[in-house]
Amino acid sequence: MPLLEVRDLRTYFATRDGDVKAVDGVSFSVERGRTLGIVGESGCGKSVTALSIMGLIPKPPARIVSGSIQFDGNELTQVREAELENLRGREIAMIFQDPMTSLNPTLTIGTQITETLRRHLAMSAREADRRAVELLEEVRIPRAKERLKDYPHRYSGGMRQRVMIAIALSCNPKLLIADEPTTALDVTVQAGVLDLLEDLREEHQMAMIVITHDMGVVAEAADDVVVMYAGQIVEQASSLELFDRPEHPYTEALLDALPSLEGEGGREARLASIPGRPPDLLDPPAACRFAPRCPFAGLNDYCSVEAPELRELRPSHWVRSAHPASERAAVAV
Amino acid sequence: MVVNPQQEELRKRVLTRSGRVDAGAPIRQTSLWRDAWYRYRANRAAVIAGGLFLLLVVYVVFGPILSPYDPYAVDFSQAYQPISWSHPLGTDQYGRDLFTRAALGGRISIGIGFAATIAIMGIGIVYGSISGFVGGRLDNGMMRFLDALYGLPYLPFAIIVTQLFQTVNFYVMVIALTIASWFTAARVVRGQIISLKENDYVRAARAVGARWYRILGRHLLPNTLGVLIVFVFLELPGVILGEAFLSFIGLGINPPKASWGSLAQDGRDVYLAHPTMILIPSVAIAWLILCAFFIADGLRDALDPRTRET
Amino acid sequence: MSREGKEPLLVIEGLKKHFPVRSGFLVERTVDWVKAVDGVDFAVEQGTTLGLVGESGSGKSTMGYCVLQLLRATAGSVRFDGQELTELKGEELRRMRREMQIVFQDPYSSLNPRMTVGDIVSEPLEVHGSGTRRSRRETVRVLLDVVGFDPSFTNRYPHEFSGGQRQRIGIARALALNPKLIVCDEPVSALDVSIQAQILNLLRDLQRDFGLTYLFIAHDLAVVRAMSDTIAVMNQGRIVEAGPAEQVYTSPQDEYTKALLSAVPVADPRRQRERKGERRRLRHALAEGF
Repeated sequence: MPLLEVRDLRTYFATRDGDVKAVDGVSFSVERGRTLGIVGESGCGKSVTALSIMGLIPKPPARIVSGSIQFDGNELTQVREAELENLRGREIAMIFQDPMTSLNPTLTIGTQITETLRRHLAMSAREADRRAVELLEEVRIPRAKERLKDYPHRYSGGMRQRVMIAIALSCNPKLLIADEPTTALDVTVQAGVLDLLEDLREEHQMAMIVITHDMGVVAEAADDVVVMYAGQIVEQASSLELFDRPEHPYTEALLDALPSLEGEGGREARLASIPGRPPDLLDPPAACRFAPRCPFAGLNDYCSVEAPELRELRPSHWVRSAHPASERAAVAV
Repeated sequence: MVVNPQQEELRKRVLTRSGRVDAGAPIRQTSLWRDAWYRYRANRAAVIAGGLFLLLVVYVVFGPILSPYDPYAVDFSQAYQPISWSHPLGTDQYGRDLFTRAALGGRISIGIGFAATIAIMGIGIVYGSISGFVGGRLDNGMMRFLDALYGLPYLPFAIIVTQLFQTVNFYVMVIALTIASWFTAARVVRGQIISLKENDYVRAARAVGARWYRILGRHLLPNTLGVLIVFVFLELPGVILGEAFLSFIGLGINPPKASWGSLAQDGRDVYLAHPTMILIPSVAIAWLILCAFFIADGLRDALDPRTRET
Repeated sequence: MSREGKEPLLVIEGLKKHFPVRSGFLVERTVDWVKAVDGVDFAVEQGTTLGLVGESGSGKSTMGYCVLQLLRATAGSVRFDGQELTELKGEELRRMRREMQIVFQDPYSSLNPRMTVGDIVSEPLEVHGSGTRRSRRETVRVLLDVVGFDPSFTNRYPHEFSGGQRQRIGIARALALNPKLIVCDEPVSALDVSIQAQILNLLRDLQRDFGLTYLFIAHDLAVVRAMSDTIAVMNQGRIVEAGPAEQVYTSPQDEYTKALLSAVPVADPRRQRERKGERRRLRHALAEGF
């Protein structure tokens, strides 16, 4: 049984003009010990998905309209807030994008780590301190014992992210959700953090969800990938599959829009840009949401009328499109 | 990978055509002011306060016009009338209708309040802009000077000013209340200018060669508008209280001229027997101050969404 | 128009920008210096793009501002179109500004929220008193069209547009005075990948159509590669490696450059696995602490 199974999740935000359907029918699962990458551009709903799993969506404007989130046998949508708090940090941990604002500037690093330990594991102060030092060493912060007493402003961005990781791992969670963990970091620092996450994941036998807009990060960190667009999943496959044989026009376009670091490219290569903009989630079209921007939508009218379903094109490769690459190839001229 | 070359060609052609792809239509079509109005409306207390404030303004503007009574006419036979339909707030020791006098007094008090607040903002804008915009040693010097000025006691200074003139009228009061109250406004404006200076659009203007007056007048000051409007409503209570206090102790507007403070002065000696005479101006002042604070709160939410609590 | 045999359009020599760190009670003393740019040399030929790449704190943005004289350099020379910019002041400098412009990173702070799109783009023309109000309006329309914007939107405000659209407005503004050089300070860093591609394609087209020279500042190595003819890698205020783009990317000489290149993840899982191995080896060699 997968560790986390999300089925048909819908999270809407109530606004003055109606409901913004930020997450509109998302299903995926995460196996123990594997990393799932959720990739998409801004506004596609990837962060809201993660926050919904953690129960961290701001409840007044946002609400989970329907769907199920099964974590280790528990149905998270039915669980009370108090129990969710127990789960958070203990079983599921999350690290966020901006390490500058994720840490409380008025508390020492030591306090912020031991706080979690004492809350969930009922450790004594001395035990918690000792464990905190161990954790800092695990995330490769030099001179850990002395640095416990430092305040966040004395740490660089990369180090703060490591501290976040240390806090997240402190109670040995089964699942770690990393929401754009490296976006705010320099590229060399990013590499270090990604390496660290991978090592720790293996040591602790954790499952991980990495949310990002960076295909490179996905290629590096993820075993399986989910591509999101306009609140829905448009393609789902293992990482190797997705990069070798992308099916959905959006995935293809996304990969073509990336300037490449190696191989052919440089000044002469033309970057594919996707005309237009993602649909308004207040009133998403009933038809395929990518159709207005899709180079293949004109081939027949099906896409502009009905929304395609997510179907399994190949074993474990799901696509929500009327014109996936392999089917286009089949329509030979 | 099986690829149909024709499909590939079509796809690549569509997606890699000139960067002059149409940028598309605006994604949002509201005006900033309308958004602000919506946010203001969401604060129920602010809306109610706004309504009550307007009510007060209507009262002080139209009250004396519609009233059949002469606010200065003395008629001892009518002294100390209780509240009744013909005298909604009763009369004072001289038989003058308090409803009318309170409205008249309101004109003066609110008038002084707004005038002084605007004067405070004016001086504050000039001082704060120069200090914040020029920066460096001048800013340092101006701020240290301001720090020293903060030590000046506001009320004694106001009193001194009122005594410098032969008669204390509207303009004298405005000067008195402004002279030692503009320091915070200068600080606020300076802070705004300093933080706005960091915006890229200011750099862009400099890169184009815009001169200082253009940058200040077109880029910096207009963007401080939101903060300044809120500040007006936060300063107003202080100024109104200042006028009331000065007039109450006899160093401001004196009877028979009506202001809320002078009305309070009228009632000062007889408050035990006739408490309404002090209560009326006090309630009026409290009404205005409470409204101003809630309005300021609503305006702050409306004009600067980041300060809202979720 | 070819400039072969002539001096490059932009020549930087020995440029330094040091910021004083002041502290003290009543009288502030300079106790230390932040050496944002510490001795930089490079040249950019007309019509080409120099990619200035580095991580945060490397001094690349400061470098850009020093070239444009938005910051006055502590030392060194900036020769633009044969003129020594560091010696220019006042009106002469103002006139020179018509030849060099800038596009900023943050589409949200680079446009004055209280000005209409039309006003924003025509401001450079107003500042230099070019033409009449009508001719300026016409120029604005042309500029907006050139950057792919519908000219009918001149009365709209920036908040009505998306990040990518705002960047186009910023680019139109930079083009208004027909400059020779445009400093692009991380122009696509804040944009989504698909929009990023649009803007990069646009910048390339504009360069070709208007004969522009770019100083392209960015931290994303792949983006820089797609735009640049020559590259300079900055680290802590100094250029550690420079040369033709392909050369630097395929055979980097400096350790820092190598570490930087190996750290960028590539959108290919198999290749990325190989690179990770190289990267770990390099990191030990560089012995960096984060």
